[in-house]
Amino acid sequence: MKNTEGPSGGVLSADSRMRMAYRVFKGAFFFGRKGLIIWDTWEMWVMQIVITPIAQIGFFAFLSIYLQYPASVTQYIVIGNAIQSMSFSAVFAVANITSQDKWQGTLPSTMVTPANRVALFIGRAWFQVLLSAMIAAAGLLYAAVVFGVSFASADFAGIAVVVLLTSIAMISFGLLISAVGLYMRTALIVANIFLFVTLLLSGVNFPVSVLPGWLQPVSWVIPLTYGTEAIRMAIAGASVSALLPVLGWEALDGLVVLVVGYALFTGFENLSRRTGRFEEY
Amino acid sequence: MGSLEGLTPGKRIDSDLGRRSQVIKACIVLTAKLFFADPQWIIPSIIAPFIFTLVAFFLFGGQATTGSFLLYLVLGSGLMGMWGTTIYGSSNSISFDRWNGTMESTLAAPIPLSWIALGRVLFNTFEGVINAVFILVIGLVWFQVGFGLVNPGLFFLASVSTFLSLSAFGLLMCTVILLSRKGGFITNSMEIPVYIATGTMFPVTILPIVALPFAFLLAPTWGIEAIRLSALPGYTGLATSYWVDLGILAAETAAYIGLAFALFKRVEAYAKRNGTLEEY
Amino acid sequence: MNRPTADPTLAVEVRGLTREYTTRSFFGTVSRVTKALDGIDFSVKKGELFGLIGPNGAGKTTTVKILTTLLTQTSGEAFILGLDIRKDLYEIRRRIGIVFGGERGLYNRVSALDNLRYFSDLYGVDPAVAKLRIPELLKAVGLADRADERVEKYSRGMKQRLHIAKALVHDPELLFLDEPTIGLDPGGARDIRNMIREMRSQGKTILLTTHYMFEAEELCQRVAVISKGKIVALDTPSELKKGVRDIAVIELRTYGATTEYVDRLKQLPNVVRVVAELDSEVQTIRVQTPLGADLLSQVVSALPPDAKIIDRTIKEPTLEDAYLRLVEE
Repeated sequence: MKNTEGPSGGVLSADSRMRMAYRVFKGAFFFGRKGLIIWDTWEMWVMQIVITPIAQIGFFAFLSIYLQYPASVTQYIVIGNAIQSMSFSAVFAVANITSQDKWQGTLPSTMVTPANRVALFIGRAWFQVLLSAMIAAAGLLYAAVVFGVSFASADFAGIAVVVLLTSIAMISFGLLISAVGLYMRTALIVANIFLFVTLLLSGVNFPVSVLPGWLQPVSWVIPLTYGTEAIRMAIAGASVSALLPVLGWEALDGLVVLVVGYALFTGFENLSRRTGRFEEY
Repeated sequence: MGSLEGLTPGKRIDSDLGRRSQVIKACIVLTAKLFFADPQWIIPSIIAPFIFTLVAFFLFGGQATTGSFLLYLVLGSGLMGMWGTTIYGSSNSISFDRWNGTMESTLAAPIPLSWIALGRVLFNTFEGVINAVFILVIGLVWFQVGFGLVNPGLFFLASVSTFLSLSAFGLLMCTVILLSRKGGFITNSMEIPVYIATGTMFPVTILPIVALPFAFLLAPTWGIEAIRLSALPGYTGLATSYWVDLGILAAETAAYIGLAFALFKRVEAYAKRNGTLEEY
Repeated sequence: MNRPTADPTLAVEVRGLTREYTTRSFFGTVSRVTKALDGIDFSVKKGELFGLIGPNGAGKTTTVKILTTLLTQTSGEAFILGLDIRKDLYEIRRRIGIVFGGERGLYNRVSALDNLRYFSDLYGVDPAVAKLRIPELLKAVGLADRADERVEKYSRGMKQRLHIAKALVHDPELLFLDEPTIGLDPGGARDIRNMIREMRSQGKTILLTTHYMFEAEELCQRVAVISKGKIVALDTPSELKKGVRDIAVIELRTYGATTEYVDRLKQLPNVVRVVAELDSEVQTIRVQTPLGADLLSQVVSALPPDAKIIDRTIKEPTLEDAYLRLVEE
């Protein structure tokens, strides 16, 4: 990591300190700490889009085979994990969108009104949405090619809608996660937990109904939970109109999460900037 | 401020063995202190094992309530946890000095790098045991069953041997990270594949044939076999005996250690030729 | 062939040391060979405080890295305390202490005490001895009352003192200090220099690199000036200053001096060199000239109309002036 002392060795402004902290934050995680591995090299892409998803699907598929569950259960698990793979990019989407250089650099300070920020956010979020969708699509490809899930009766329009909507909703959820991470100053840990918690709570490996009653409401806050349900229906052949009830709930959930997430995020960001808490990580 | 006069003169330990064990102990202590100063760093390494095991809890469903089932899960979870900390912790035990700014201090030490790494790796692998403890606690609270081990003595031996084999593997991965630009990619990518290949949650016999050579070359595969044989009543697994398993484990572990020490010499030579391990 | 042998009265002996860096192109063919060190010869007597000065990139750090066994040389010999750096690596490391400049080199999340205990063990110090020596060292460097605090809470000056304690923990005979006062405030730097003097009076041999000329002048018995990988001068500071005895220095402090003014000064006849710091509100300009005070009227008349001289003094040339002449030629 480069030494970032000012040229005369003097004190840096708060903004450059934040930038420095963020850069150090990123640098630290590149060196082997799993978690916020920002997309620095092609190897990381390959790992996150090919190796880890296939390995993860494989792990739970083998577990199902070992337990001698019928093929339908194994298929349930494979599809669930395939689409869950997008959680990775959802969690880091917000970090990528709002990294300080991008955030402050493009608008002169007089123009950083709340409305403009929203516009900027949405403008950049589209790329992340497409990225998430691509990762989910790759997962479904593995499900078909590597794990033999049949897409014979699948409604591809339905699949596309589910994937796209879930991507959008999960990015919104990512805002909420990032806000929590900002507040707790342990974004790394929060991100890591979330990466895997969906395995447990979002109907990925087993239906939400298997979970204890008090935990189930949490599942239904996460957009992915609706996504896993909808994608299975779409692969089985349900048309877009048949999916509407589930998708409706997912969209509503996504909207609520977006509003809450955005409020929390800007709230904590301002708090951090005022109290200078960005420096500790 | 005082003066530098009249300080007790330095006196050195002379024996090789004495110095090496002193360094190993010092590195275990330092790594432990750094860990306790900031225990949260372990979380990324054990989150996946922890959640994978919880998922397994629910997938196992109805078979859930026996003590031996809980034990099976805890063992698998413990091994996954140790893998996690081996892959993220142990393999970075020296490269951690890079972003901590202490690489020069480490390279300037009057003892081969491998001994420094060994001490750090031992503690790092140990951190994974914590995962097993968490799962055990949750399991006990959830299911409220006790469980017994078939043969506690052999179980202990198998556990320690597996722990050491994972440490040896971590030592080897340490050199991979230091010698290769792709080192981080290699170690990060192997996390879930090794959960599969070492039979943590399900036996390697259900894997496709092509995977078996990898499974058998990984010493911990034999370790988990020996552990299960000595702990779970009625476990047959790979149909090898406990002592055969331990024998293969020991041989492969020795091979890892030999290879690791040889590669560490390479690391040191490389560092000296280029003056640094700072950048790739 | 004559096997080189070391002189036992010398702590450091360097003969023909060369270090080349080869940058390879993408396809692996050699594209450029840079010589970081080009045949360096010097020696340091036991008990001496020796300075190595030079501009950034001259080869100071490269020299120190080779002598501390952290870098291999391309050719040439070096002996540390009579031991060959190619062969007796670990033995040399056991008998030298190294202080790297700057913030790095300590484990920040644990205490000073933990750091010293770790390094003491790493260097093979007998634990019974370490138990006594470490608290003494902490007291000697003035960190005894904050020894249990995490190093990350220390000021820069405190960290640097801890670096010195760490370098001394195994009681080495020879110390390498690489820019030990860099980035410190004047008080902190003074403390470090006092410690350096004390170490020398304990009979330790010290090789110091620095780009603060006054520091080299103040502390070192002999100084080697290194520039572009070669030693261009090696002598006591006073002898080196004789090399510039023919010049006096007019030192000006001004408001409103510009680079154009500095260029005009450089054009004046009988001006050897002009060194200027124009970055702050008050600029400092040093004009080297054999004419001394006689040049003053020309210096003043060359001033731009809106500039003002606040202060002017005629000074004796310092080591810095000698150094500048040496490295710019």
